[in-house]
Amino acid sequence: MPVGYGRVVASEIEGAADAALLADLRGVLGDRARDNDFERGLYSRDGSIEGSSPAIVCLPTSAADVAQIVRICRQHRRPFLARGSGTGLAGGAVPVGRPVVVATSKMDRIIEVDIANRIAWVEPGVLNLDLSRALSPLGFHFAPDPSSQQVCSIGGNIANNSGGPHCLAYGVTTAHVAALEVVLPSGEITVFGGVDAEPPGFDLRGLFVGSEGTMGIATKAAVRLTPNAPTVRTLLLDFDDVSEGSAAVSAIIAAGLVPSALEMMDQRAIEIVEAFAHAGYPTGAAAVLLVELDGLGGGVEAGVEIVREVAERHHAGHVRVAADDAERALLWKGRKNAFGAVARIKPDYYLHDTVVPRSRLTEVLEKVYRIADAYDLIAVNVFHAGDGNLHPILAFDRREPGVDERVKAAGRDIVAASIEAGGVLSGEHGIGLEKRDYMGMLFSTHDMYTQDLVRETFDPDGLANPLKIIPTGSRCSDSFHQHVPEGAWV
Amino acid sequence: MSTASPVGEPSGTAGTFPLQLDIDSDTLASCVACGMCLPHCPTYRVTGEESASPRGRIALMRDVAERGEADEAFVEFMDACIQCRGCETACPAGVRYGHMMEVTREALASQTGYQPRLRRLAYRALGMPRLLGFGSRLLGLSQRLGLMRLIGLLGRARPFRQLGAMTASLPRVPVRQSPLIASGDDVWLFTGCVMDAWMRDTHRAVQAVIESTGAGVALPPPRASCCGSLHLHAGLASDTRRLARKVMAALPGEAPILIDSAGCGATMKEYGHLLGTEEARRFAERVQDVHEWLAERVDNLPSAAPGANGSAPLQIAVQDPCHLRHVQQAHLPVRAVLSRYFDVVELDDDGLCCGAGGAYSQQHPEVAGAVRERKVAAIERTGANVVASANPGCTLHLRAVGLDVRHPLEIVAEHLSAREA
Repeated sequence: MPVGYGRVVASEIEGAADAALLADLRGVLGDRARDNDFERGLYSRDGSIEGSSPAIVCLPTSAADVAQIVRICRQHRRPFLARGSGTGLAGGAVPVGRPVVVATSKMDRIIEVDIANRIAWVEPGVLNLDLSRALSPLGFHFAPDPSSQQVCSIGGNIANNSGGPHCLAYGVTTAHVAALEVVLPSGEITVFGGVDAEPPGFDLRGLFVGSEGTMGIATKAAVRLTPNAPTVRTLLLDFDDVSEGSAAVSAIIAAGLVPSALEMMDQRAIEIVEAFAHAGYPTGAAAVLLVELDGLGGGVEAGVEIVREVAERHHAGHVRVAADDAERALLWKGRKNAFGAVARIKPDYYLHDTVVPRSRLTEVLEKVYRIADAYDLIAVNVFHAGDGNLHPILAFDRREPGVDERVKAAGRDIVAASIEAGGVLSGEHGIGLEKRDYMGMLFSTHDMYTQDLVRETFDPDGLANPLKIIPTGSRCSDSFHQHVPEGAWV
Repeated sequence: MSTASPVGEPSGTAGTFPLQLDIDSDTLASCVACGMCLPHCPTYRVTGEESASPRGRIALMRDVAERGEADEAFVEFMDACIQCRGCETACPAGVRYGHMMEVTREALASQTGYQPRLRRLAYRALGMPRLLGFGSRLLGLSQRLGLMRLIGLLGRARPFRQLGAMTASLPRVPVRQSPLIASGDDVWLFTGCVMDAWMRDTHRAVQAVIESTGAGVALPPPRASCCGSLHLHAGLASDTRRLARKVMAALPGEAPILIDSAGCGATMKEYGHLLGTEEARRFAERVQDVHEWLAERVDNLPSAAPGANGSAPLQIAVQDPCHLRHVQQAHLPVRAVLSRYFDVVELDDDGLCCGAGGAYSQQHPEVAGAVRERKVAAIERTGANVVASANPGCTLHLRAVGLDVRHPLEIVAEHLSAREA
């Protein structure tokens, strides 16, 4: 793109507009509205590999703050973007169009725990694991448990309709949110859903969960509390052959079990995870399955026997049953830190999230390895095998020239291979910026146009996290594509 | 979460100055920004701000290293780190954050006015036992004569505000302490600077517990007075190296060197890396936290006293000093020793920092106070009345809000002497 006079003028105009916007935001937030270069840089990316700078970072402490910020953004016709802990992997919290970032991290109170209704009202900045820990003395937890659960926020979980290993049995976030207080893109505060029973009318709560900040900003959520299971058993099965491991996954489900979690790791994943967690993962194995069963004691023990039989039939090397909570915790510590641990191979990673039919796991995995080889990249696989939710990780070093293009091309091929096998674009990380332009692989133009109409109903001005989920060009009226910064995906 | 901010709105981006950050690009690139460190960072926990997180600070270091210049805002963001290194324990990628922060502080101290002259002199005084002893006695006397209240009043006037805040948070310092007496040469007990001047009775208790295993304790001469830990955290690594050489020369032989202050132990175990000599490496291998040494000899310790009227053993909540848990990974031996006598209760905060951080609580009282509130809440959740902490800084910081905090071996020594009586 030529850089010339026109661009300089544009940035001067932007600067003046930013200053006026900042003055108004400071009127509400004081020094919790920031525009220094350092902090704008810090909020320019999330856990994905893309980034672009916001104009201003806001750190609200209440729903009233959020509503004011949104109203001011509307007056200035400036996009805004909610952000939780910034661990998203699909670029959903990457600022596009020089927006105002609304970071909810200071809104982290658990407001009320209502055991009679098995509901807790929480602010969006509450961390997922903090909530479960706070509930633990009462015998409850919040069921969705993404790998990032120690740091990801409930607000982020709602935005992405997040999953996690234990969603195989318990369902993803939308099944665990009863009601939401939301600041709409108009700046009004409203409540979707309800605590008591399913309210009449359209399920707007269900629509909002997973909308990635394009329909407003959640400022409070009534989440459902799940009782802690009286008995939990965690098993580790190792295999010499990835295909035997995949076959065992299907066999466990076919045997009638619904484990609370059924995870798979390949050899590279086992090695890096063991290097971090020292949990005794068998580093020589081609694949391991981490199987967790919970419920009443008798049922769980019967399930353990079924898993043992399946393991034997599929030539598992060993079946290790965690002896106590400490051993279980150690195994999970390894699994849940796998992504970050990839840095032990290369300093950057690109983590994919697609879903394929369980029966075709082996075939798609083989394709993933072939694609990585073809682009001279390293693939590591750690994933929710029980629901066919693949998480191929491409490890790379962004300082190598030309590697970005190879990583993206390989990513696209992996998505295409998954869809070809009858799968879908995303299991739980959302579409964000990353998969937006792949939507066309799964949806017709008409489908996407209709989705965009729904979005427009909530956000007629296109200010709420614009340019995410729906590809540009779905509507002629998209007015922000000229603001897309260099380096962002378009 | 409060509206606490690590630094408030930074002082602005007007003045930039050159800064060479000598961190190699592989080290800077080793952070993949996954964010797993955030909940384990005390300053992120109380502010919710990226600039107060390890991930954020590394991004800022990367930025400055590339541009070769920094500004006041950068200095404030770096200075707001407590250097607890809880992020290193949490990091799946094994990023050496503590090392990066030390290099950054050293660059700031040597290339900018980050450590003003007066503060440098104060740090230097830690290595001068006579001066430190004299100053401490003076301080203790002033506290008793009510002079500190005067300084406190003076502290309301602008030029003395920092002095006023500092004196207000100081513990009561002893005026007179009887000397420790060596009992053999099986192990050295390192006594340090401020701890010896202010908390010698802790050393006395530690020495008694060591001796109860049958070992004789050698004491260092006054010239081995300071390990240089606070200097290292302030970016004054050359002072640390100078002190390290003195300490090494003063503790010759092969006997283990036992440390009862987690911060000192962490630094002395690093001497090999800091000085880069074979001699320093061999010295560092002799350094052990006193609990590590005792845990290997736990059977030589006297057995527990029978509970009075069969009452349940005393409940002790263990507060892990960061430099014991996250840096030395030597927090489990504390439990091995304590659980011989007491019912050990764990906190549920994953070893999150208490906010003391050496001199940090003096320099950033607001953030340190907010961090401490979380720790106090975790302690209260255990229901225990006594807290064991193996680091003088944490002990003083937590005592300041009225908690009964003691060195683990003080609690053990008291139990043993009660048993004899």
